[in-house]
Amino acid sequence: MDDGGNPNLPARPDEGEPGIRVGVDDWVATHEQRDVRRTGLTGKANDLIDRTPRWWFYVAFGLLAGLLPALTSNGYVIRVGFDTLIYMLLCLGLNVVVGYAGLLDLGYVAFFGFGAYIFAMLSSPKFGLHWDALIVVPLAVVATGLLGLLVALPSRRLVGDYLAIVTLFFGQLFVTIMQNGSRFSLLGIGDHSWDLTGGPNGIPDIDNWDLGGFKISSLNGYYLTALTVFMISLFAIYLVDVSRTGRAWKSLREDPLAAELMGIPVNRLKLLAFAISAGIGGLAGTLFAGLNTAVFAADFDVPTLIIVYAMLILGGAGSLGGVILGAIVVNVSLEALRTPGHATWIFYTLIVATIIAKVRPWRWVVIVIGGTIGLGYLLVAIANEWWPRGTAGEPTVSGWLGTWLNEWVLHPSDPQTIGNICFIVLVFAVLGLTLLKPWLLWVAMIPTLYLAAFVWQNRLVVEPSVTRLILIGVVLIVLMNARPQGLLGAHRIEIA
Amino acid sequence: MNWNLFLTELVAGITHGSVYALIALGYSMVYGILKLLNFAHGDIYMVGAFIGFGVITVFGGATALTTSLVILLVSMFVLAMLGGGLLGVMIERFAYRRLRNAPRIAPLITALGVAFFLENSAQLILGAEFQSYDSFSWKNGELWSKGFELPAGVHVALAQIIVVVGTLVLMVALTYFVRATQTGKAMRATSFDREGAAMMGIDVDRVIVVTFFIGSALAGAAGVFNCMVYQQLWPYMGFQAGLFAFTAAVVGGIGNLPGAVLGGMLIGLAQAFATGYVSSTFEEAIVFAILIAVMLIRPSGLLGKAAIQKV
Amino acid sequence: MPGKLLELDQVSKSFGGLRSVQELTMHVDDGEIVSVIGPNGAGKTTLFNLITGVYAPNGGDIRFDGESLLGLEPHEITGRGIARTFQTLRLFLNMTVKENVMAAAYCHTHAGVLRSILRTPGMRREAKEIEQLAEERLSFFGQRLMGYRWNQPAYSLSYANRRRLEIARATATKPRMLLLDEPAAGMNPVETHEITELISRLRNEGGYTILVIEHDMHVVEGISDRVIALDHGEKISEGTFEQVATDPRVVEAYLGAGTGTATK
Repeated sequence: MDDGGNPNLPARPDEGEPGIRVGVDDWVATHEQRDVRRTGLTGKANDLIDRTPRWWFYVAFGLLAGLLPALTSNGYVIRVGFDTLIYMLLCLGLNVVVGYAGLLDLGYVAFFGFGAYIFAMLSSPKFGLHWDALIVVPLAVVATGLLGLLVALPSRRLVGDYLAIVTLFFGQLFVTIMQNGSRFSLLGIGDHSWDLTGGPNGIPDIDNWDLGGFKISSLNGYYLTALTVFMISLFAIYLVDVSRTGRAWKSLREDPLAAELMGIPVNRLKLLAFAISAGIGGLAGTLFAGLNTAVFAADFDVPTLIIVYAMLILGGAGSLGGVILGAIVVNVSLEALRTPGHATWIFYTLIVATIIAKVRPWRWVVIVIGGTIGLGYLLVAIANEWWPRGTAGEPTVSGWLGTWLNEWVLHPSDPQTIGNICFIVLVFAVLGLTLLKPWLLWVAMIPTLYLAAFVWQNRLVVEPSVTRLILIGVVLIVLMNARPQGLLGAHRIEIA
Repeated sequence: MNWNLFLTELVAGITHGSVYALIALGYSMVYGILKLLNFAHGDIYMVGAFIGFGVITVFGGATALTTSLVILLVSMFVLAMLGGGLLGVMIERFAYRRLRNAPRIAPLITALGVAFFLENSAQLILGAEFQSYDSFSWKNGELWSKGFELPAGVHVALAQIIVVVGTLVLMVALTYFVRATQTGKAMRATSFDREGAAMMGIDVDRVIVVTFFIGSALAGAAGVFNCMVYQQLWPYMGFQAGLFAFTAAVVGGIGNLPGAVLGGMLIGLAQAFATGYVSSTFEEAIVFAILIAVMLIRPSGLLGKAAIQKV
Repeated sequence: MPGKLLELDQVSKSFGGLRSVQELTMHVDDGEIVSVIGPNGAGKTTLFNLITGVYAPNGGDIRFDGESLLGLEPHEITGRGIARTFQTLRLFLNMTVKENVMAAAYCHTHAGVLRSILRTPGMRREAKEIEQLAEERLSFFGQRLMGYRWNQPAYSLSYANRRRLEIARATATKPRMLLLDEPAAGMNPVETHEITELISRLRNEGGYTILVIEHDMHVVEGISDRVIALDHGEKISEGTFEQVATDPRVVEAYLGAGTGTATK
């Protein structure tokens, strides 16, 4: 939106200012002002939050999350909670390698899948093995960690870009192998082939977690197990983060060469980050396989990877609180997008919230929202007169919201083609908006918003599975451009 | 030795390699200038393929073309290259430009987001089903019946010749452009040292836009080439092709244009021979093995120069 | 009689056709402050990169405390007791001042991941020691890097304080020898004077042997026991500051010879 720098920001401290006294730097000069700024209720609250030790928040989260089964008996809610916990665990592992060590691991979900497949192979009728989870889970974690080590090994000396391609390729290879693993042969030698992975049919009938005779079979049981596993992992990672290893990771993220020359074995630490991250991914996989009782290669493909990345980025890479928050926000939103009613609520709430937050002065807020709805009523009236097909379609959302939207959003009887065209136009219109300045921007927003509502009602809400993924892509692009540090991450400065 | 199989796979490998080389060129150009792995590049190739499909549909569909082959092919290429190029320029302008000085990981993740957005938008608009160019039906299959014969009864079809010759022409044009024109020189200067180039009065923004346009136009052409020979297209086709082309660029030495072509040919041939002699399920594993081997033996790629670390 | 701590024996390094360091033989005695001077491109920073293992020499041998450093990774060389600063500052900008120094304690501490998770008594003692070490190293610079600054990110520091923090960070690796790459670059006269005193204190109070690259001749004059002048990767003069500063070859290297025969 604003291409130039904000003129109100103070100059960067290292730029110095004319007339500054010798031996006194900018921070000293402005330090008092920085203190003064922290007054008022929000300032006090911020101070309080800053002073509270981090782990208090994690304990509070654990307690609250532990209450969920007591608060609701709705299986769906618990199920979403379980999935969210799995995602949190995945984010936690990814955070080690991306957030701390600053390496881009694009094969991460393969480790998740590897853990799940190991669990599935060792405790299911597939090979007639029904091992105790107390053995299988640690085994899976260690094996996945070693796999992570192996993947990172060839690229350890290379810059992040090469690591990205090797890991991305590895992730693809994993899916291909699992999908074709139903007819493994020794490179075409002989006719015999073995079925290791069940191919596209996956491995069904996986046992429940069996902890030395104590079987976890209920959804609540899995939820609490996942929570316990997550909390233990969270604290373990937290303790590593504040240890010398955590510091070393952060220093190699900042400047690998300087870190190496300060006596930090950069390559070994990169491998360690990779192995730990992969191990946590594998751990999440065992939980996932245990509850779902079946694993399919398709679960560990690129969409899952992108979703986990979106969570990590939204929460803020490098922040443990961000891992929790990112996973909750993204997974709950994705779940809500499954039902058109909820999705529509989220969609319009987000739009209105964005307008209220970004549009100034206030009267323009009213003009933009009112103008959009007014334009809608006008268009519906015109369509009723000249283009009856334009309002002949059924509303796609039930309830009063749907009825009201139907009054001012056109619903053509056969919206597919026109909806698709409008989708493309909408993309161009939104991109165009980013080039405009207020007030022209506010005016241009009115038809764009109307177009957005039209495309949403007629096209996006109808295909929730694709819409979810489109939105994830948009979230990644917008976040990286607007707030790369995410919700809870610290703002970082990069000087090339 | 079975010469028929060998020659068939050789021809297939060169054809497929040409497609990879075209995509890899775009990757390499963008990487050379921005040091950015543009994950969305493979999806531009997909869009190019669909633009070609749209042209076929407009001209009456594969079985009932209302125009001559020449007009069809020319309009397919021109539109796919224009469309791909403009898409690339848009992506650069709206998704990457603000991130030029951001932490390295930010544009990479943005690129993933763009790729994901393009793939799923394509699925929303075009559906998830496979489509086909069905070039066997164009004008009674002239593209496939014409051509010339190699020994051992191997037929090289006109479609394959067009792909290989078309690729060669585009590469020669690109080489000329980069070597001889003012803008090409500015591109090389920018890729060598962006800030330095800017200080020497080169309009870096413009150079980057041109780079994206050319690279993406090549990807668009590659989309049409690919489907002309291999027929099928669908919204997720860009992912694997992008991955392979990307590998080709790395194998050849990323940022190095002849290297991208060499890498593309190598990957295409490896894939063809893997399919012919082992099994098509192993093609990915073999390409991956090539990637790992090159990275272990020559980390800067076959034609790349090792960079001196500056302290 | 102090022995030779660092010895370079016929060390050469070339990049393609450019010979950056040619058959350089030099040494630094224990407890000595040696300055390396020379015009830009004389191979001074390359020399540092060779000593610290960033580049592998094409020929010759580098020995530290009698043992060869060839083939060691840079972090292993740091572990042996050589720490350096950078001409173009390379702090961990988004970490706090104290964390910057604490990170450098990695090479002489031991607690691994498992011990960190279990918080064993040994690990906790070590963590406390790291923190004390960092505070002590920072206090070496007086009030400059103390107090609230500990928890400020390094990017918030002024240029001069960044240079000081780099030195503090280097000393936290518990080195025997410090390599300082232009410690006074970009500083004003007052700060330059401070740096001169600081380098002497580093030797006298910290007990470090110091090899320093410096362009500012006042600093070189103020600190050096011995001066080595390089040009085109070759040693052209060595001795006390007066000897080197008046050596005609050095004058020629800096000012350029009127005849154009240069130094080769």
